[in-house]
Amino acid sequence: MASQPLPLSQETLAQFNRSMAPEPGASGPPRRRLGSISTRRSSKDQSKDQPHHRPLSLRGKTVPSSESSFLSTKISNSHISMGRRFSFAGWHQGGRVSFSGLYLQQPIQEVYVENTYRMGPEPGCHFSASRTRQILQATLDSYLEGVCYSPDSCSQLCQILADLFLSKLKDVNPPRYKLVCQVVVGQSGKQGIRVASRSLMNPNTDNYTSAVFQNHSLFAVALVHGMYFE
Amino acid sequence: MEEYHSGDEVAFSPDDASNVVKELCLCVFIGQCIEGIVGGVDYSQNKVNQWTASIVEHTLTQLVKQGKPFKYIVNCAVMQKSGAGLHTANSCYWDTTTDGSCTVRWENRTMYCVVSVFAVAIAL
Repeated sequence: MASQPLPLSQETLAQFNRSMAPEPGASGPPRRRLGSISTRRSSKDQSKDQPHHRPLSLRGKTVPSSESSFLSTKISNSHISMGRRFSFAGWHQGGRVSFSGLYLQQPIQEVYVENTYRMGPEPGCHFSASRTRQILQATLDSYLEGVCYSPDSCSQLCQILADLFLSKLKDVNPPRYKLVCQVVVGQSGKQGIRVASRSLMNPNTDNYTSAVFQNHSLFAVALVHGMYFE
Repeated sequence: MEEYHSGDEVAFSPDDASNVVKELCLCVFIGQCIEGIVGGVDYSQNKVNQWTASIVEHTLTQLVKQGKPFKYIVNCAVMQKSGAGLHTANSCYWDTTTDGSCTVRWENRTMYCVVSVFAVAIAL
């Protein structure tokens, strides 16, 4: 294996890894490295001992050279799942060199946002129902004070209110939260009205709030839901 | 060995004829649901609580049965017909490629019913 000239893609890999990894094939306790692309080479070195791992295990770690092959499979599994979003695609065997000396198959690093490993919102960064309600109520009171219902203008008023709420809430919105805001405006009369809402959400991270305003000629109900984007 | 999913995304778009819409048939379903609960009855202050609760519950249950990776919000407003006007508007801060909403208006002789469904995607 060592006598064969390395294909060029592997040569680069070797160069790259020389700066990162200790000598390959060193015997001793299993080495574990996160985030390196040495796996490919190490899997090649140890391929006589281990079952061949597919290129997907690129993202994984150096496979320990122990007898527990099931354990090694498990480790590489978990790191495959961790590395879902982090791609070093394009390191295929047999990458050829173009005439200009550039690789035809360059590692195509797609633009992925780096994994933050966050499982939920940061403490203190939850959607605050009380603060949102204060904002809604204050906005409703200030905007609708003394306004009379008119069929022509109230439809626009309703939409303006919805957009206004959203713009105000976006400023105080914690990161990774999506907002859904609904406003109902109607003429105050002798009619009865009931507004109900039900949602399927995660009560640990998501919340909702509502505010009501009424004067002699109109009423308004604002509902805002904050959903954590998992 | 785990399968490597390349991030299949399901979009909620009640307006275009996607497979998701065909499966959901949302607007039609909501209309039928309302019809089943308040169709043919007159507005009653005593019963309106029950009606709104039933409508949102049935709608939400049916949505959940689809098994799609969404969080749902269902809003329902029932108003007695008395000549007064009613307006609803919504605005959302979300990912427009994966999230969506649907609003259904229904009326009978004595009341109006407006049901809005919002679906917010979760990434799996």
